[in-house]
Amino acid sequence: MDYIAEGLVQALNLLLQGDPETFSAIWVTLRVSTASILASLILGIPPGFLLGHYSFAGKRAVRVIVDTLLSLPTVVIGLLVYTLVSRQGPLGEFGLLFTLPAICIGQTILGLPIVIALTASAVETLDQRLPALLSTLGADRKQMLLTTVWESRFSLLAAAVTAYGRIVSEVGISMMVGGNIKWYTRTITTAIALETNKGRFAFGIALGLVLLLIAFLINLVLNVLKKRTQV
Amino acid sequence: MPPLYELENIRQVYARRVVLEIDQMVVYPGEIIGLSGPNGSGKSTLLRILAMLESPVRGRIFFSGRPANPNDLQSRRQITLLSQSPYLLKRSVLGNVSYGLKLRGITGKKEKARAALSMVGLDPQEFAGRMWYELSGGEAQRVALAARLAIRPGALLLDEPTAYLDEYSAERIRSAALYAVEKWNTALVLVSHDHAWLGSVCQRILQMHRGRLQAS
Ligand SMILES: Nc1ncnc2c1ncn2[C@@H]1O[C@H](COP(=O)(O)OP(=O)(O)O)[C@@H](O)[C@H]1O
Ligand SMILES: [Mg+2]
Repeated sequence: MDYIAEGLVQALNLLLQGDPETFSAIWVTLRVSTASILASLILGIPPGFLLGHYSFAGKRAVRVIVDTLLSLPTVVIGLLVYTLVSRQGPLGEFGLLFTLPAICIGQTILGLPIVIALTASAVETLDQRLPALLSTLGADRKQMLLTTVWESRFSLLAAAVTAYGRIVSEVGISMMVGGNIKWYTRTITTAIALETNKGRFAFGIALGLVLLLIAFLINLVLNVLKKRTQV
Repeated sequence: MPPLYELENIRQVYARRVVLEIDQMVVYPGEIIGLSGPNGSGKSTLLRILAMLESPVRGRIFFSGRPANPNDLQSRRQITLLSQSPYLLKRSVLGNVSYGLKLRGITGKKEKARAALSMVGLDPQEFAGRMWYELSGGEAQRVALAARLAIRPGALLLDEPTAYLDEYSAERIRSAALYAVEKWNTALVLVSHDHAWLGSVCQRILQMHRGRLQAS
C-alpha cells in the first residue's frame, strides 16, 4: 500500500512544481482534443440538425448507422486513420503519421457520430409547440431555423461536452497514429499507458489526477445543462 | 368596413375524418366573436386555420381581402394565436415579449415590451428580467399574451386562454384582450367554456357541434 501513497505524494509534487514532462503531455492533450472537438462540432451539427428536423426516406437506416458508429472502438479508428495517412495510403503524401493532425483526424471521427446523434435527438425532443409559436409570432423561415437552433443550445452544449469527454480520454487513436513521441505527440493517456509499464507510478498518477479533474468538470457542466434542458 | 376574414366552404380532414365543415364565416375588424361547443367539436382546428398554422383541405379564406397563404408573411404577421398552455422561449420574460418585435425589426422593443407586460398586469420592473423557468402558470400565460399584444395584432385568437388559471390571472387576460380591441381595433375570436365571459363581451357567439357552426 505504501507505494500508492508515496506515488500520490510524488504526483502532487510533479503537478505543483510544474514538471515539464507532465505539463507537456497535458498541453498536447488540451491542444489536440480542442481541435478535434471543434472539428466534430463544425462537421457534425449541420447533418445532425437535418437528421433530427426532417423526415426522409431512409432516415431510420441513417440513424441506425450513426448509432452503430457511436460504439466504434478507438483501435478500429486508429487502424483506419493509420491506413489513410501511412506512406502508401491516400493521404500518405502529407506525411501525417505520428503527428498531431493524424490524432486530430482520428479523434474527429470518434466525436462525429456522438455529435450527430445527440444533435439529432436534441432537435427531435424540442417541444412540439415551438414551430407553432414561431409561426404565430411571425418568424420567416430563416428566423425559425435560427431560433430553433438557439432553443436547443443547452442540448447542443451537452452533446459537445459528452463528445469531448470521449475524445480527451481515448488512448487507442493517440497511441496508434500519434506514436507517443515525447514532447510532441505524447498525450495524457498515452503517457500513463507507457510510463506505468516502466514503473513510473507517480507520473501516471499525476496525469490520472488531471484526467479525473477534467472528467469532474465535464460532469459538472453536464449536470447543470441537464437541469436547463428539463425546464 | 371591409371584413378582416372571409371563409367559404371550409373543410378540414384529419385521419380521413371530416373535423371541420364551415359554409360561411365573416369576421370584421374590432369584432369580438365567441366560439363554444363540446370538446372535439373543432374549435381549436378552426382557430389554427384562422391563424394560418394549417390549411384546410378545401375552401377559400380571405384575410384583409387577400387569399390566405401561410407564406404571405405580411398577412401572417397581423394574426396571432394563444393556446391554453403556450410555449415560452428559453430566454428572459423581456426576451419572450419582445421576440415578435425583433422578428419584424421594430425599434423601441424594450419600451414596447414593457408596455405589453403592464397590459397583462405584470410589473415590468419585477418581471422583465425573470427567466422562463421562474414563472408560475398564470404568470407564464400572461407573458405569452403580452408577447402577442406587443405586436399589435389585427386578429387575436384565444383558445381557452384562461383554462388553467386562477381568477386573478384570468381576469388580467380578459381585460388585456379587451384593451387590444379598444386600442387597435383588433378582432378577437375567443374559445372558452366561460359562458359568463363570452356572454358579457361578445357581439356574436357561435356554437360549434361536430365541426359545424350554429349561430345562437
Ligand atoms: N392531429 C390529429 N389527428 C387526428 N384527429 C385530430 C387531430 N387533432 C384533432 N383531431 C380531432 O379533430 C376533432 C376536432 O378537434 P379540436 O379542433 O381540437 O376540437 P376542440 O378544440 O373543439 O376540442 C376532434 O375530434 C379531434 O379528435
Ligand atoms: Mg381545443
